[in-house]
Amino acid sequence: MSTASTAQAEPARSEYEMLRAQQWSLIASLLVAPPDRETLAALAGLTGDDTALGQSYRVLAETAATADVDDVAREYFELFMGVGRGELLPYASFYLTGFLNERPLADLRRDLAMMGVERADGRFEPEDHIASMAEVMSGLAAGHFDAGVLGCGAAGQAGFFARHLEPWATQFFDDLAVAPSARFYRAVAEVGRIFTDIEIRAFALEAKAHRTSGSSAQKI
Amino acid sequence: MPRQVVRVAVVGVSHPPANVWAQRRVVPAALMADIPALEAGALMSTQGDVHTYYMGDHAVVLHSGETAHYIDNLRAAQPSLWVSCDGDQVRLVTADPYEGEAMASDPERVVEALPIPPAVAASIDTFIQAHHVHEVFHKRKRVPATSQHDPRAPRILSDREKWVQTRGKAGLPPRGST
Repeated sequence: MSTASTAQAEPARSEYEMLRAQQWSLIASLLVAPPDRETLAALAGLTGDDTALGQSYRVLAETAATADVDDVAREYFELFMGVGRGELLPYASFYLTGFLNERPLADLRRDLAMMGVERADGRFEPEDHIASMAEVMSGLAAGHFDAGVLGCGAAGQAGFFARHLEPWATQFFDDLAVAPSARFYRAVAEVGRIFTDIEIRAFALEAKAHRTSGSSAQKI
Repeated sequence: MPRQVVRVAVVGVSHPPANVWAQRRVVPAALMADIPALEAGALMSTQGDVHTYYMGDHAVVLHSGETAHYIDNLRAAQPSLWVSCDGDQVRLVTADPYEGEAMASDPERVVEALPIPPAVAASIDTFIQAHHVHEVFHKRKRVPATSQHDPRAPRILSDREKWVQTRGKAGLPPRGST
């Protein structure tokens, strides 16, 4: 039974899935636009435990507490917009082929069309922007979107992740961490990198459990 | 962009027409650094049929971006100011020889290169000292598209590759001078 059909069967998602959705949503909101004063204040209130992810959240909270909202906006501009181009090009197509708007974007658009997901009005970034893909992952985790139609078999959102994010997301977060202008976003990159790493390993574990216990495996 | 305005007085001379079809016209003939207390168009002197008029004073605007042209002008055998007139109206006085010669390509205009008054030359020299930035000519060459040349953009743009003005007037010497 696929995760997606499980999602349809039970509208109330597990707490684990909702937390994943929130993590993806946080990453998306920080990468789609620079955070405003309220968001920075909220980020400064984050706490974390002693795990790697918890520590990265603690660093993010400390960075957000000392960051100035204008400096962060300037940093966002330098990183993702720039004059001519930003320091980074956060697009799947660029990371996978070296060029923008290439076949990975076409593949992603086809999959999104099958899932019934489209760009909101007034959003002009191509869909393979890291923030849009994080939003899609958030929607998949929260059960708003259904990846079961993609034909990835039982994998569902794991299939979407493996096809569109896994090949380049960690590389992107590594680049974001070492980009010359990154200060606040270095902390964001750390959160993103560790979280993506956890996702990759969790999906691998899930796939392994699925393989060993046959098609009736439930989500771990 | 720093600018400086110097005013010069323009003196025009009108010769008797060379034939019965030609008409008298006032042609700029000399420049004065001191502005006389005269109305524009006033008759200054008459020597036989040659009339000398005061054509009024006019601004010479110096731009910091054109200092290289002013240097060319001052280094010439006869440093000049180019006076461009429509009829007997002075429209432009410039110390930039290339701008002046460009005006001269218009047959409707009267353009004369007149010896520069020493006081004006001195103030142009001061302006050059204050604002000139020497730029070495850098011949750009096409980079051959070889298989070694990676057409893909860098994943992370370094500070060195960004579009920021660092050279010329912003500080560093122009590319090619080092």
